[in-house]
Amino acid sequence: MMTIDEPRIGVYVCHCGFNISATVDVEAVRDLAAEQSGVVSARDYEFMCSNAGQDLIKRDIQENGVNRVVVAACSPLMHEPTFRAAGEEAGLNPYLVHIANIREQCAWVHEDRVAGTAKAKSLVNGAVARVAFHEPLEATRADVNPTTLIVGGGIAGIEAALNISDAGHEVYVVERQSTIGGMMARFDKTFPTLDCAACILTPKMVAADRRENIHLLTESEVESVEGFVGNFKVQIREKARFVTADCTSCGECVKVCPVSVPDPFNQYLSTRTAIHKAFPQAIPSDYTIDRQGKPPCMEACPIHQNAAGYISLIAAGRFSEAAALIRRRNPLPFICGRVCYAPCEEACSRDNVDEPVAIRGLKRFAMDWERDHGPEPVPDPPEHEYAERVAVIGSGPAGLTCAFDLARAGYKVSVFEKHDRLGGMLAVGLPSYRCPAPMVERDIEYIRKLGVEMKTGLELGHDFMLDDLTSEKPGFGYSAVFLAIGAHNGISLGVPNDDAVGVITGVEYLRNINLGRPQETGRRVAIVGGGNTAMDAARAARREGAEVTVLYRRTRAEMPAEEDEFEDAVAEGVRFEYLVAPVGVLVTDGRVSGLECVTMQLGGPDASGRPRPVPIDGSNHEREFETVIVSISQRPDSDWYGPRPHDSEPLVFSDWGTVEVDTDSLRTPVPNVFAGGDVVLGPATVVEAMGQGRRAAEAIDKYLRGRPLDEFTSHTPPPDPTLGFEDRPFEQSPSYDAIAKAPRVAMPKRPVAARLADYEEVDLGLSEEDARREAQRCLHCGACVECHSCEDICPPKAVQLDMTDTVTTLEVGQIMLATGFKSFDSARMTQYGYGRLDNVVTSLEFERMLNSTGPTVGKVLCKDGEPPRAIGIVHCVGSRDENYNRYCSRVCCMAALKFAHLAMERTDADVYQFYIDMRAFGKGYEEFYSRVLREGTTVIRGKVAEVVPSLTSNGERPHLIVRCEDTLIAKYREIPVDMVVLCNALEPQADAGEVARVFSINRSPDGFFMERHPKLDPVGTTTDGLYIAGCSQGPKDIPDTVAQAQASAARILSLIGRGQVVIDPVRATVNEKLCGGCKTCLSLCPYTAITFDDEGEVAVINDALCKGCGTCVAACPASAISGAGFTDDQILAELAGLLAPVG
Amino acid sequence: MKKRFADPHFGVSTPGVLSKSERDLRDAFRAETDRIPGGGRLDQCIQCGMCTGSCPVSYAMDLTPRQVIGMFRAGAIEELLESSTIWICASCYQCTTRCPADIQITDLIYALRRIAIESDTFPNRLPTHIFSEVFIDMVKRYGRNYETGLILRYFLRTNPLALFGRRRAGIALWRHGRLPILPNKIEGIDGLRRIIAKAETFDLPQEVVERQKVTDTVGYAAIGR
Amino acid sequence: MKYTYYPGCSLHATGVSYDKSTRAVFAKVGAELVELEDWNCCGATSYTSVKKTVAYAIAARNLAIAEQTGDDIVAPCSACYYVLNRTRKRMAEMPELYEQVNVALAEAGLHTNLTVPVRKPLDVLVNDIGFDRIVALQTHSIADFRPACYYGCQIVRPYGAIDEDPERPMSMDRLFAALGADPVDFPPKVRCCGGMLVATSEAVAEKLCTDLLDWAVDSGANCIVTVCPLCQANLDLLNLNGSTNGSRTKMPILYFTQLVGLALGCSPDELGLQHGLVPVKIDAPRLSPSMVGAPSAHGEEI
Repeated sequence: MMTIDEPRIGVYVCHCGFNISATVDVEAVRDLAAEQSGVVSARDYEFMCSNAGQDLIKRDIQENGVNRVVVAACSPLMHEPTFRAAGEEAGLNPYLVHIANIREQCAWVHEDRVAGTAKAKSLVNGAVARVAFHEPLEATRADVNPTTLIVGGGIAGIEAALNISDAGHEVYVVERQSTIGGMMARFDKTFPTLDCAACILTPKMVAADRRENIHLLTESEVESVEGFVGNFKVQIREKARFVTADCTSCGECVKVCPVSVPDPFNQYLSTRTAIHKAFPQAIPSDYTIDRQGKPPCMEACPIHQNAAGYISLIAAGRFSEAAALIRRRNPLPFICGRVCYAPCEEACSRDNVDEPVAIRGLKRFAMDWERDHGPEPVPDPPEHEYAERVAVIGSGPAGLTCAFDLARAGYKVSVFEKHDRLGGMLAVGLPSYRCPAPMVERDIEYIRKLGVEMKTGLELGHDFMLDDLTSEKPGFGYSAVFLAIGAHNGISLGVPNDDAVGVITGVEYLRNINLGRPQETGRRVAIVGGGNTAMDAARAARREGAEVTVLYRRTRAEMPAEEDEFEDAVAEGVRFEYLVAPVGVLVTDGRVSGLECVTMQLGGPDASGRPRPVPIDGSNHEREFETVIVSISQRPDSDWYGPRPHDSEPLVFSDWGTVEVDTDSLRTPVPNVFAGGDVVLGPATVVEAMGQGRRAAEAIDKYLRGRPLDEFTSHTPPPDPTLGFEDRPFEQSPSYDAIAKAPRVAMPKRPVAARLADYEEVDLGLSEEDARREAQRCLHCGACVECHSCEDICPPKAVQLDMTDTVTTLEVGQIMLATGFKSFDSARMTQYGYGRLDNVVTSLEFERMLNSTGPTVGKVLCKDGEPPRAIGIVHCVGSRDENYNRYCSRVCCMAALKFAHLAMERTDADVYQFYIDMRAFGKGYEEFYSRVLREGTTVIRGKVAEVVPSLTSNGERPHLIVRCEDTLIAKYREIPVDMVVLCNALEPQADAGEVARVFSINRSPDGFFMERHPKLDPVGTTTDGLYIAGCSQGPKDIPDTVAQAQASAARILSLIGRGQVVIDPVRATVNEKLCGGCKTCLSLCPYTAITFDDEGEVAVINDALCKGCGTCVAACPASAISGAGFTDDQILAELAGLLAPVG
Repeated sequence: MKKRFADPHFGVSTPGVLSKSERDLRDAFRAETDRIPGGGRLDQCIQCGMCTGSCPVSYAMDLTPRQVIGMFRAGAIEELLESSTIWICASCYQCTTRCPADIQITDLIYALRRIAIESDTFPNRLPTHIFSEVFIDMVKRYGRNYETGLILRYFLRTNPLALFGRRRAGIALWRHGRLPILPNKIEGIDGLRRIIAKAETFDLPQEVVERQKVTDTVGYAAIGR
Repeated sequence: MKYTYYPGCSLHATGVSYDKSTRAVFAKVGAELVELEDWNCCGATSYTSVKKTVAYAIAARNLAIAEQTGDDIVAPCSACYYVLNRTRKRMAEMPELYEQVNVALAEAGLHTNLTVPVRKPLDVLVNDIGFDRIVALQTHSIADFRPACYYGCQIVRPYGAIDEDPERPMSMDRLFAALGADPVDFPPKVRCCGGMLVATSEAVAEKLCTDLLDWAVDSGANCIVTVCPLCQANLDLLNLNGSTNGSRTKMPILYFTQLVGLALGCSPDELGLQHGLVPVKIDAPRLSPSMVGAPSAHGEEI
């Protein structure tokens, strides 16, 4: 730093015409200054900022050796640059020139001349004292990255992008919507010229699309911004569009999408498909899929069955496609359509409206329809074939699913089944009136078609050993084994004589019935237990002609059996007795003759969380039964497991006899043996077992392909599958309470009498009409229901449902924000009835109605489809109102006049304008106003007080009544109209605050982005290199928006042209000796300019980033940071000067 | 009858006098209106008519509520006090809750009534103020308002014939046990009278009127640099 | 729960059934009402329109007495509710007024610190007692009632006792829906009934009430339910000559406490139904208001 000789200070006091001299005695200030030490020259002048005034200063510097300058004048905001330049021209370092602001600080805020003068003296004193300590500073420079980021793809963003790209520079345009064009794209005509918005906008959109150096990032948002003018780093999230750039926008997808959701682009006045394009001229023209999370039904399903998808297809009458979709993920569709306990229905959002959709019934319908109408489905051959062979032990749901998946992956699979019938529990455990053998056979047949080999009558541990499978013995030599032998051993009662003849477990009883083995049932049968197996056994026993009593030790509330099962059991005459438990089996002549029971009562909760049943003393009593069927629970059979050869890890069994496995991969301690289903879970549901089969298949594939056993993609249901929306199934949807209730279709069943005669299926399946009606109850959670129709139909195969968001980091030199506005929520003004009264519409809704691509293709129609007889157009809705927004929204008056013109052009309606003050401020606006007046609109000067419906009982066509004062005739009036158009205010975007924070710019009290100066820098911001344009800065019309965009572009180009930015030397520096490394400053710095040097354990300030705000200087507890231009010496001296007494 | 409030709209021919006299009148009037919360906001009325449109009885007024504010601002107090408007107001506050300029219109009406009574200026054939007087008298007498008596005495003082027209109503209410014949006086009536006597010695205090806070919607930001 | 009960003058005269039904319902839901000792007239709006500090002093006497027990004041009459609350608010805002009034009160050895809130019965039932408790206590069906829930002015303006939106309060509608009645959409639910104008500008008041009645008929209501004695009286008196929409419509005008009371099994006498000019036909346990225009004992005599 260059040293300089003794301070020789010059003080220059400005009159600023009367501005200062009227309130401040300029001469007195000058004289006081002259007396101060170090001051060699003190002058006053009428206009210091004039060239003559500046020359005074220059001359003193050059001739009188003045080396410090204090100018007592206006705010440094205005003329600091002027005087610094003057000093520089005279050869003085500009930072040795200091301003004392005696205009804004004294003259303008005081009326008392004496006080004003005194204050001015103090300020000058302070400045003189301070400037003595000033040191020369050198500004540094940094190169400017010529690439520009524009946030917001409305007309402002497009216009600026075109301007900048014209100059040959790169521009990135980030747009949140799926298309650029912004609000203007929604308008029909534009005032005052009435040219078509699309006609003047789309050419610019197309141009922006064509330009090599303009990069459009739609469905994208800026996540973070770092750096400084000329060198910003911006992180951008590009949301998955689920359609690649290969899209030719042929529109085939739209024809097959079964979903319809309210269309935001049309203000929800019409509906569109989930895969869509905002409007015909959208840019980019690629389609996009509206996907808002996964449907809960799908999430709740262990095999991730996309229920919403096939339901939507059924609703559309596309039954075979529905069946095909089901088969994509489900190897046992016929079975699941009958016996699945449907966790999907528990998760179904429709339950928030009335009852869940009958999903299981619909699946069964689709499959039965496929069976009855054909064609027989043929699985696609696997893409590749592998040499490895896999053995699956057990042909239950787990085994079959695993075999199905592995076969589709290209492996040779053999399924070993000990019984002669395939299906495991499905075949031997479930009674055929629920799960008919032919249905099981159908599903297995389909799996056979995949080349899966079924080996029946071969029992593990009896006909072969586990090791044999992986050994090289002939007929074996499998590379991996999936152990899915289920849990077929019923648990015995555990009371005296529980092994007596006539006591049998539920699974065994059902097995005997199913396999046609001899099984005596007797007249009076007791079922002990309350689970689903108990229900099955009870209903089977009824079919064997017995009187059946279910004894359960708790109450119905705790009984685990499914509601349907229970109801059918009751319907079929099964008796239920609660709070009874057997304590002994009565035996006569070596055969069961009854049970000794005790009555229970409910106590505190047990491990399962259910209340613990406690016996009541002395309540023992005896009951007579010929047969006792015990179905408390089942456990796996582990007797098959013989001693292992020493060289390999043994299997591990839990106390319950289940096989211990790694919960993710389902792998046992034996590397090539995996296990799943009931043998691992204990008794569980069909679909849970299938889920495990699927996971095992994925694990085995990974294992055989030598990939690590992690990052599994097969689905695990979350504990509580819901969407991101509190009160509705997807964003644009009406809320649950607004959705019309529709009862769930009941599954038709066989009459009870007929049921008991045989084992024919009880549920009869839904009719075509019922199925479609039921399917239409689906709410399309998350919009896209993942039916894959578009994926299948898309000619260029551009649909990719597994696409994910991408986050990219851009380096740009400057940024322009043109994020636009949101329109005022008219429902807040309850008195206008918006959202409550038909035909009260907002200006945007009316725009869409007028637009030829809108919901009414350009016709103005009431809800009842009739044209309106009279239309009331209401100005200032939410504007100029202390209760909402104080400001005038500027565009409404002209928009309202435009509406009047178009309404009169397209209808025969009388059109009323309700205005407070007609503001036609722009070029050609007043002329347009008088034109519309000539056309015959009725203008009433008066703010509308309320809109009420007409009385209906008088038989008139229902209409609306607008209440107001016609202020020009001072009369209260009630004007009958059919339609009311609310010209609602323009408001800052909902997330304007968040955006302002990300880009570190300010907002004015009205919430809009704040320009750097209201008159002299209307597009700049307090952050260098960051510009604003359009309605994000304040309400404005298209011409003003475009003008601002072009202004911003010019500012951006001028800096690119300059190529370098000057970085102000007023910034903080760290005294490393004093820095204690407490890191306090790091978090405080608003410009992230401070980093920490771990070696030196001191804070380091990046000169380029530092803005010299001083936050860290004030915060540093060790006062190790000082700000150049704001050193302690300088500030203390200034204070001393300020506080010194002045005459 | 003699004008209690000068009327600025007649006999003024010198420039500046009109506005001056309006100002004088308004300043005098302020003393009253400043007792209204936010009375200072009256300047901000944009004459939009929201008050009139919201008012269920404005159809029956000779001046609309909006005009009342306009008249006040023009200092045309006499015309204003002789209008039926301030006496027809049913004090339902709909105008106040909706006013886009946040003006407490209903309270303004109250102030005007007070001024009217104190200056004994009333519209012809609209004796509402008498109702108030009778009401006050009732309260002073019994500490409670005795509806039967209130109605009777009000009509006897204003328009005895109207009573005849309303006999069916009276009879019906009486039949249904809703018009007690005798008033009931509160025990602490003496105390209440002392309270009233004392309170009558006080004028309502002036409100600290905050004239509109001018919050810059476009603040200054650093320029230069 | 314990509350200080401020009936106000009307509830001892034209509004007697509001008094009875409020007491009956509060008893049913287990909320104790203790009548404010030796309360005096709140001064109403006509008082404030004339006298100065007096208006506040008169009202404040009640606040002062109430502070001796400290329980929330429950004021069924909307005018009382408004006046008492305005007194609290203005005194709190204006220290000088606060002084003056307390000086005046001192004449009777009283003083107020404005510590006791003033509330409406509807507010207490909806927010303190709660739908669940009330529904749990329901003994009789009121499914045949299609009430037009009429709030009037001063329960929502300027000091809202219920709901955020003074333009469209729903508390009463929700309460009766919860009790199984079928409230109709009643657009003018907060439009003024004319209040005291019934005495001073009869024609105006009659028009307002006629509009309300016409709307109730139009929206398919079979009774109007109110929260204010003035509204009830003005509308009920209109039953004498019927609405001017041609028909000679008669419609029961109930206090909301009467309808709640019916649902909770209070007897018609307890609820003061006999005081209504249009009677309510009751065939317990299922109740229904007399159908529109139905002849009735009292009806003929009128």
